[in-house]
Amino acid sequence: MPYLGSEDAVKELKKALCNPHVQADRLRYRNVIQRVIRHMTQGVDMSGVFMEMVKASATVDIVQKKLVYLYMCTYAPLKPDLALLAINTLCKDCSDPNPMVRGLALRSMCSLRMPGVQEYIQQPILNGLRDKASYVRRVAVLGCAKMHNLHGDSEVDGALVNELYSLLRDQDPIVVVNCLRSLEEILKQEGGVVINKPIAHHLLNRMSKLDQWGQAEVLNFLLRYQPRSEEELFDILNLLDSFLKSSSPSVVMGAAKLFLILAKKFPHVQTDVLMQVKGPLLAACSSESRELCFAALCHVRQILHSLPGHFSSHYKKFFCSYSEPHYIKLQKVEVLCELVNDENVQQVLEELRGYCTDVSADFAQAAILAIGGIARTYTDQCVQILTELLELRQEHITTVVVQTFRDLVWLCPQCTEAVCQALPGCEENIQDSEGKQALIWLLGVHGERIPNAPYVLEDFVENVKSETFPAVKMELLTALLRLFLSRPAECQDMLGRLLHYCIEEEKDMAVRDRGLFYYRLLLAGIDEVKRILCSPKSDPSLGLLEDQAERPVNSWALDFNTLVPVYGKARWATISKCQGAERRGLELPNTASLAASGPLIPEEDKERVQELSDSGALMLVPNLQLTAEYFEKTWLSLQVAHQQVVPWQGAVHPDTLQMALQVVNIQTIAVSRAGAQPWKAYLSAQDDTGCLFLTELLLEPENLEMQISVKQSEARTETLSSFISVLETVIGTIGDIKP
Amino acid sequence: AAAMIGGLFIYNHKGEVLISRVYRDDIGRNAVDAFRVNVIHARQQVRSPVTNIARTSFFHVKRSNIWLAAVTKQNVNAAMVFEFLYKMCDVMAAYFGKISEENIKNNFVLIYELLDEILDFGYPQNSETGALKTFITQQGIKSQTKEEQSQITSQVTGQIGWRREGIKYRRNELFLDVLESVNLLMSPQVCPSPGQVLSAHVSGRVVMKSYLSGMPECKFGMNDKIVIEKQGKGTADETSKSGKQSIAIDDCTFHQCVRLSKFDSERSISFIPPDGEFELMRYRTTKDIILPFRVIPLVREVGRTKLEVKVVIKSNFKPSLLAQKIEVRIPTPLNTSGVQVICMKGKAKYKASENAIVWKIKRMAGMKESQISAEIELLPTNDKKKWARPPISMNFEVPFAPSGLKVRYLKVFEPKLNYSDHDVIKWVRYIGRSGIYETRC
Repeated sequence: MPYLGSEDAVKELKKALCNPHVQADRLRYRNVIQRVIRHMTQGVDMSGVFMEMVKASATVDIVQKKLVYLYMCTYAPLKPDLALLAINTLCKDCSDPNPMVRGLALRSMCSLRMPGVQEYIQQPILNGLRDKASYVRRVAVLGCAKMHNLHGDSEVDGALVNELYSLLRDQDPIVVVNCLRSLEEILKQEGGVVINKPIAHHLLNRMSKLDQWGQAEVLNFLLRYQPRSEEELFDILNLLDSFLKSSSPSVVMGAAKLFLILAKKFPHVQTDVLMQVKGPLLAACSSESRELCFAALCHVRQILHSLPGHFSSHYKKFFCSYSEPHYIKLQKVEVLCELVNDENVQQVLEELRGYCTDVSADFAQAAILAIGGIARTYTDQCVQILTELLELRQEHITTVVVQTFRDLVWLCPQCTEAVCQALPGCEENIQDSEGKQALIWLLGVHGERIPNAPYVLEDFVENVKSETFPAVKMELLTALLRLFLSRPAECQDMLGRLLHYCIEEEKDMAVRDRGLFYYRLLLAGIDEVKRILCSPKSDPSLGLLEDQAERPVNSWALDFNTLVPVYGKARWATISKCQGAERRGLELPNTASLAASGPLIPEEDKERVQELSDSGALMLVPNLQLTAEYFEKTWLSLQVAHQQVVPWQGAVHPDTLQMALQVVNIQTIAVSRAGAQPWKAYLSAQDDTGCLFLTELLLEPENLEMQISVKQSEARTETLSSFISVLETVIGTIGDIKP
Repeated sequence: AAAMIGGLFIYNHKGEVLISRVYRDDIGRNAVDAFRVNVIHARQQVRSPVTNIARTSFFHVKRSNIWLAAVTKQNVNAAMVFEFLYKMCDVMAAYFGKISEENIKNNFVLIYELLDEILDFGYPQNSETGALKTFITQQGIKSQTKEEQSQITSQVTGQIGWRREGIKYRRNELFLDVLESVNLLMSPQVCPSPGQVLSAHVSGRVVMKSYLSGMPECKFGMNDKIVIEKQGKGTADETSKSGKQSIAIDDCTFHQCVRLSKFDSERSISFIPPDGEFELMRYRTTKDIILPFRVIPLVREVGRTKLEVKVVIKSNFKPSLLAQKIEVRIPTPLNTSGVQVICMKGKAKYKASENAIVWKIKRMAGMKESQISAEIELLPTNDKKKWARPPISMNFEVPFAPSGLKVRYLKVFEPKLNYSDHDVIKWVRYIGRSGIYETRC
């Protein structure tokens, strides 16, 4: 948000910084520098005073130094040549007798993101790793990761990695944790830092010396360790037991996750752990720290998926208080809906009923939906409550109740009668599209049981011209045609009027098409209409399926204590899928002038990557080099993971095919010449996780089909299916080109 | 990584950036604006304290009218990021008090200094206020003495991260505050189960301020039921005397300095405290809570345009104790046109903007009762919607612990220096405050 007149501000500050009187007066000098930082904070481009700021770095005033270094780290990418001038001062500070100055200088120097800085920071980092002050070592260890990031995907420096591994034994706890973080970043391509038995045991012994951040981090790294024996496993669990009672909820959750993962083959241990963390989780759920409370509630819901009875006796803890923030109330309602059982259903419903009349329409609707959810198990009680809510004649309540009814009769047909009795009169209090659609659907499907159904629909037909939502009109067409089948005498006339309107006057093409379709269907005879429209009116098996949602703990243990329970699995999948594409260089459009890094790949490639990533979370690496021998060996050692045939016409042009496959990063290892019978080709590809896909294409003589066999080095069904769809697309496209 | 924070931003309520610190390349300047537009300037209520904008997660907390946001693109651990933000607020508060726009603007350099120390490359580093004091040079130019320099070295090489060596005080002093917040949800007088406690819990903290020389070993004892019962085995006499007064703690957690192994085996709380203020323990109880006040509301609808409300509050603690800052908030319908209030004690006012009668009493002794009556005139409306009566809420402060927790002893040993437990001046204080204290009517 550049301010008006920012150029003037830069000019003025530049003048002040150059003023010898200001420079002589320490406080004034620092004041001017503060103003520069203030402008920088607000997003004004202050790179214009870089030269003057470099000069200001040569000072004994530590506060001033800190401010200048902060400035330089922000603008160094824009002024790399000038930033080099500051290196001298920084290098000098790196050998200052004061460890604080050394640490500050090293940290800042490693944070200068500009090309060519590596050669200057390498030596100071190495010195820093052996510094006697742990404050400097902490900085130096993270400096290694920063240096590696600057290099991009260059070679890993083996000596440095070894040094970092040995620093895992440092006596300062923060140095140890920083080493783990640093190694993790440097070795990202190789799968991260290796946690073998000696390292794991060393970390376990150091745990109590770490602060909460360190503990949480180490617990996370330990997830990677596989104990050799059952005995070792239980030793580890005993050692970590006390962390389930840590004062920090995140350490508790981190420890719980580690337990769940380590004990994945011992369900009773998992249940026991979940019992142990119940107390801390409930405490977090009633804590005054609202955001933490929110995170805890999300995890409670996660646990309830596997153990629906886990919190049932504590249901009152999840009653909402009037003054709680909206997001907590919404979560609590969800929790209540999930923990309901025979003993507490009465009280829970009573409580939820109270929420339905809350001033916040949003919250009231959430409560109604929750009652609808409970209704799948406790149908009669819930339908009664919902029916009573209709008497309030509130628009925002009625619409959600009717939508809930629609879903309910589909899942629990036994409540149809009660719902049908409740419906008359609702139409007066529904204005929105969703609510109208639900009501019309109910009237159409169950109209024979609702005496005034035709008259209600007639009102809608009368007003169809002023109806704003096309979806409502579509629903109306279907509903009226359905009702016509069961009550022809009352509906025939208005059906005719509606069809006439839709075909002759309606502007929306979808509605008009639907009208035409039904008109022609009617011409085909009433039996044909019945065949098309009289689909089942309910599907109770769907409700049963939802009840079976009890998933094993192992299905979500890996997601525990991450963002997945907070966002929900589906939403996280979309977020992380896009992130995968972004890692390959798809930057957000950068609105500000400060573009941190330029595009890494040319425009046309970006599109290709995007396309690929949209076809599944699959990323095939370009330029995979496999020798024919290696291919043959691997091919023979693997089982066929997938086989299918695709239609094919005519001969194959190997070159065309090879080129097309090349575009999507599938390499051709060997291929028969054109016209050979039978014709064969062997292909290979590898995704970004290192999983190999080996493929054989086979075309038998006189056959109009091509047989595809795929083998995979690691069994992963989701990437396999994405790979096959990529392959199919290519072959489909080539197969269409007739010679 | 468990918590890799790409950037930290602080805004005022208008959405102006007061502080912005970016730690990782993947967070651009556009993130600062995205949060302002999507969260601070959003019209609806906040639906989640974790907001995802363009695949970037914003973890936000609000203190008075200041927004603090931690930003990341990684799949981090949400509880951890929030704990970190709270910690940051605590650290800032320890330096300059309340987190307000003015304080943030005035301490802007200090905050940048803090942000430089507590996070490096987005990873949390040292965040203990005591330890941080060594690195933050607020007073500006401070040519460091040799002694201070060696302190940094010893502080960061010591085995104990939360305390540095060589601390000296002329007067060894200890302050112990038992701070509790009592939460209550009462059912209405007219309902299947009238005037019952729906849920009640106390969440408490034991906060200690220690000004002790050297590396003192402390031992803390309270009337924890399990401990009392354990000890009671020896002397049956004491069990009968103190058994009643012991309390059942549902769960408790401790500061990192407490030796958990000792707590698990002997349930004794021993530790070497950090210097200065820290939270020793956090606990929660749900049984036998002393509810300091009972609220008995009576609402009568007189015709369609008038409501009569009578609320009685009864104090339920020793007559010698005084409750303070009592405030009762009685909600009124939206179509209220006028209110007449009569109260025996304190002052009551109808606040139209808040749709409530606010009744304030400065002080009230235990075992007393006070009442307020109000006549509420209503405008006739066509709205058929029934007024969903929000609960009556209360605020207060009492000089005891509603959970019943008592400090039995706090002993200090410092074997290397020549002061003993008797020389340490100790202060203990109990404060009970209302959390969410609601009575439905």
